[in-house]
Amino acid sequence: MSTAPTLEKNPSGGAEPFVRRTVPRGRRLRRGAAPWLLLAPGLIVLGVLLLWPMLRVLNLSLQDYELRNLLRGDSNYVGLDNYVQVLTDPFLWKTVLPNTVGFAIVCVVLTMIVGTSVALFLNSLGTLWRSISTTAIMVAWAVPALTGTYIFVWLFDPQSGLVISALDGLGIMDAGSYNWFTNRWTFYAIATLNVVYHGFPFIAVTMLAGLMTVPDELYEAAALDGASAWTRFWQVTVPTLRPIIAVCVILSTIWDFKVFVQIFLMPGGDGTTREVMNLGVWSYTQSFAQGEYGMGSTIAVLLTALLLVISVVYIRTLMKEEEL
Amino acid sequence: MNRRTPLSQAAKALGVVVLISLSLFPFYWMLSTAVDTSPLSRGASLLPSGITFEHFRHVLFDAGFLRYVRVSVVVALGTVLLSGVIALLAAVAVARFRFRLRTQVLIMVLMVQMVPLEALVIPLFLQARTLGMLNSLLGLTIVYVGFSLAFAIWNLRGFVAAVPRELEEAAYIDGATWGRMFRSVLLPLVAPGLVATSVFSFITAWNEFIFALTFMQDGAKYTVGVGLRTFFTQNTADWGSVMAASTLITLPVVIFFVLVQRNLAKGMTAGAVKG
Repeated sequence: MSTAPTLEKNPSGGAEPFVRRTVPRGRRLRRGAAPWLLLAPGLIVLGVLLLWPMLRVLNLSLQDYELRNLLRGDSNYVGLDNYVQVLTDPFLWKTVLPNTVGFAIVCVVLTMIVGTSVALFLNSLGTLWRSISTTAIMVAWAVPALTGTYIFVWLFDPQSGLVISALDGLGIMDAGSYNWFTNRWTFYAIATLNVVYHGFPFIAVTMLAGLMTVPDELYEAAALDGASAWTRFWQVTVPTLRPIIAVCVILSTIWDFKVFVQIFLMPGGDGTTREVMNLGVWSYTQSFAQGEYGMGSTIAVLLTALLLVISVVYIRTLMKEEEL
Repeated sequence: MNRRTPLSQAAKALGVVVLISLSLFPFYWMLSTAVDTSPLSRGASLLPSGITFEHFRHVLFDAGFLRYVRVSVVVALGTVLLSGVIALLAAVAVARFRFRLRTQVLIMVLMVQMVPLEALVIPLFLQARTLGMLNSLLGLTIVYVGFSLAFAIWNLRGFVAAVPRELEEAAYIDGATWGRMFRSVLLPLVAPGLVATSVFSFITAWNEFIFALTFMQDGAKYTVGVGLRTFFTQNTADWGSVMAASTLITLPVVIFFVLVQRNLAKGMTAGAVKG
């Protein structure tokens, strides 16, 4: 505890003379500096690796910057030209934005529904089966996005994957007759399955922790009043868990807007099929495949701005819940 | 609510079976493809057509995954060490001291986690190019320290705050300096938290893909993720080997994660009871 507040709290209108507790000046300074010394390495790392690059990307987004600019070390400011070009591009409005926003909304809704249902189910189980099932969904959570994506690509492989083999066996579709990865809708259906599978365990585990704190008395009282299970869920569970639900929704929204690896690693997802690009992939390919770092930065800034708005909502929600 | 009719018990048992098998299915499909003698003609049969370790041998020794694993391990361990030390110091500062701007520092730590990597990769790539840090294990490690640090600080903060202040005060009364107290009281008590945080930093570095892809252009410096993508693009239909390589990447993460998750919950409840 710092002693500074006691010193500042000099009551001007007080009758008694204020007795100043003298703490040696050197020690006071050292105490005040201690947290900053401890924080310094961390703040420097975050500043150099996260904040400074964010400023640089903002700066780059105002330039027509290519690799030769880097080699020559010059800049090439074009004002808001990149923004005008991106924002008036029908490709943004017809393809990229729907692929980013629509996909994120569908994923968040599905992840919340699956996660919450699993949490409710786990909450109704005994301790042993609950912990066995929780471990199983932990495995789903732990499978890295990278390898998880390859597993889904293999499951939906048009030639010899499990899904087409099963459909072939049932006589619905012939193996190799259709490539799901070239069609925007089926491509994103597979990506959604992948993202929801990877994301639901976090929601389930968090919601379960919340559900276990809801007092049984609330449910008993509601049941006595004749409320059905459905009514009890909406009238007791949801209002009690509102803060946890809010955090889950916002965190999933942030994650699902940022999806990159799960799209990029699917066949055609790395920019070769332009129809399936989202903001992240567009920014990346614009920079590293086309070499237009300025334009890529502009797209990255738009994505960041979108996430920033959601993050502010997130922090507001969190701040209401607990003292940091 | 907790009716114990045979019907509801049977429904629950069925639910458990469905939940567990759906959760584990992709993982199982990966493992069973990796050991399948002929994965391409397996079709929809749930059991592999035969057991072989040929795919593992092929990716480890012929395709060079042993080298990729070594690169990834070095980078991940470096990340764990650096971010562990830096995060612990910062966590002590925010959990133990009340100072001006403390809340702002915490908000910043939260906010930087929202920054999309796609936005950072452009400026950091240009910077690393200027500094000659492309294809450098140190360069990649430093970048990963930045990414894992915010979460590590946030996570450790809880563990440090859970250590009762009275223990620290007792150490001071016994004449310990702050440094001595830190080593002999605080450090042993936050050790479980440090382990959990380290595992998460390890997983962050091990799983990261965008930066590894952009920074490491020399085949000898590929991480496991980039190695897997390169292997996949060159051998698209060789699913047995692709899944064997995926298993090598996935297995350590799954084992670590499941172990630590238990540990983490234990640490939290222990802290709550002591509080």
